[in-house]
Amino acid sequence: MSPKKRVAMELDPLFERLQPAEVFFTPDGKQLFLLLEPERFMDGLVTLKNAGFSHLSLVSCVDWLERGEFELVYHLLRWEDGKRVALKVRIDRENPVFQTVLHLWPTARFYERDIHEFFGVVFEGNADREPLFLEHWDDIPPMRKDFDPQPYSQKIFDEREYQHPFVPHIVQANPDRLPWEETIDEAKKGGETNGGK
Amino acid sequence: MAENNLELTRNQKEVELFFGPNHPGMHGNFSVHLKLEGDTVVQAEPVPGFLHRGFEKLMERRLWMSNLALIPRICVPEPDINEMVYAMAVERLSELQVPPRGNWIRVLILELARINAHLMSIGGLGGASGLYTDMYWAMTERDWILDIFEKITGARVYHMYIVIGGVRQDLPEGIVPFILERLDGLERRLKEFHDLLYKNPVLHARLKDRLILNRSMCEEMCITGIGLRATGIPHDIRRVDPYAAYEEMDFDIPTGEKGDALTRGHLKLLEVEQSIRIIRQVLAKIPSGPVRQKPLGNALRWRVPAGETFEHVESSRGEYGYYVVSDGSEKPYRIHVRGASYPQGLYGVQRYMPGTRIEDVALWLGTMDFCPPEIDR
Repeated sequence: MSPKKRVAMELDPLFERLQPAEVFFTPDGKQLFLLLEPERFMDGLVTLKNAGFSHLSLVSCVDWLERGEFELVYHLLRWEDGKRVALKVRIDRENPVFQTVLHLWPTARFYERDIHEFFGVVFEGNADREPLFLEHWDDIPPMRKDFDPQPYSQKIFDEREYQHPFVPHIVQANPDRLPWEETIDEAKKGGETNGGK
Repeated sequence: MAENNLELTRNQKEVELFFGPNHPGMHGNFSVHLKLEGDTVVQAEPVPGFLHRGFEKLMERRLWMSNLALIPRICVPEPDINEMVYAMAVERLSELQVPPRGNWIRVLILELARINAHLMSIGGLGGASGLYTDMYWAMTERDWILDIFEKITGARVYHMYIVIGGVRQDLPEGIVPFILERLDGLERRLKEFHDLLYKNPVLHARLKDRLILNRSMCEEMCITGIGLRATGIPHDIRRVDPYAAYEEMDFDIPTGEKGDALTRGHLKLLEVEQSIRIIRQVLAKIPSGPVRQKPLGNALRWRVPAGETFEHVESSRGEYGYYVVSDGSEKPYRIHVRGASYPQGLYGVQRYMPGTRIEDVALWLGTMDFCPPEIDR
């Protein structure tokens, strides 16, 4: 029996209740990702929690810029046998609002706060929305795909001129060439190099 | 009126305290804003961010291969688990098989790293409780282990040794007697650690039956690792979801009963013993053959097939994992780090630190297995 079939069969009784819209496997078939409709999602989490998947490893968010949606991924683990299931839900990128899971896992408070800070997703029912890591942040949430750190840092920090303090004369003498090319040429000529200075 | 007066005196008695990186008892760059009433903590608010380096964003901007140099920096005492979960994720997505010898060497490296992390943590326990001898001893022992790393990988702290497809190179010649000699030395010292720490009346007074982490708290906070094992549940990812060559290793999972701080501290020492046992098995039975498979071609043009995976390993602090998403390009699309101490470091501090005394705050953080860099990422 292929691993895919085995994983699916073990969870078969749960499948009927979960009714996933899509099922994803890793190439070796050992890991399962279920995509659920938003209105069925909380039921799905409760079903899995009652089936022993009571350990919430992580709440992740993925920004799919081209599709215009955020994907929230809840990674669940069963302590007894080490089985894992991940539930996914897709929400609109323009209006990123979803329900909190605080009533099921109080520890999700900080995962949700984290996602709110880095993706701007609002979890209804979780009032904790203070920034956790970033200080004086004044741009769009930084983990979004349309945030580019380079222009941002150019805007925030002053330009500074970087110079080689060790070989200033070489750099100034021949700005088109790399410093070590000059040094190699000088060595070939038998002249004294400035490498030691 | 009487109530108002009471409220006033209560407020006057409260003192706010910033317990941050400047405090010698703090484990790394992290801070807790405390409100104290007398000696008792009545409110605790975790404030991370001192170490935030944007690893997850940086990883999205680097090639699959270049990330190997970046990720060990996420966790200082035990960097190799990062390389391991990352390599596991890429191998699963691109359907790579690691040669047996590569897997066995990975076990050797991971267990050496676990010993390292536990020794640092045992030393931290001494530092936080004022027993500095223990701290110096543990740091010295850790340095002997770092010598092994230097011989195998060329680096002491960040090794970048576990790479995609196996390990970077084979073990050097003559390393086996060297490792065995160091392990014998460590094993002799473990007994002294035991006498110094766990027969110590001062430590008993401060840790025994205190700073409890029971099963319902573990379930609420989703804590795994030593915290959970100290309550009597033998949960270990090496056993329930084996990776590398752990399926072929023979080892015990030490558990406690009470879930108090002394049990958690004691389990660390017992786990070091088990790690030594695993390393001896590796050295005795390691198969020969290649250590790495390289079917992906030029490392600068690697493309990992589109897909997603969540990999986890048993770190010294519990379940440590990466959620890796690839869109089939040369760089990862998204990587999310599950730090093992994220739940107890943030939610746990807020929920369960109130009620402890001010002198136990450092011990609380130390015995709950707490590592700020993996929270900040």
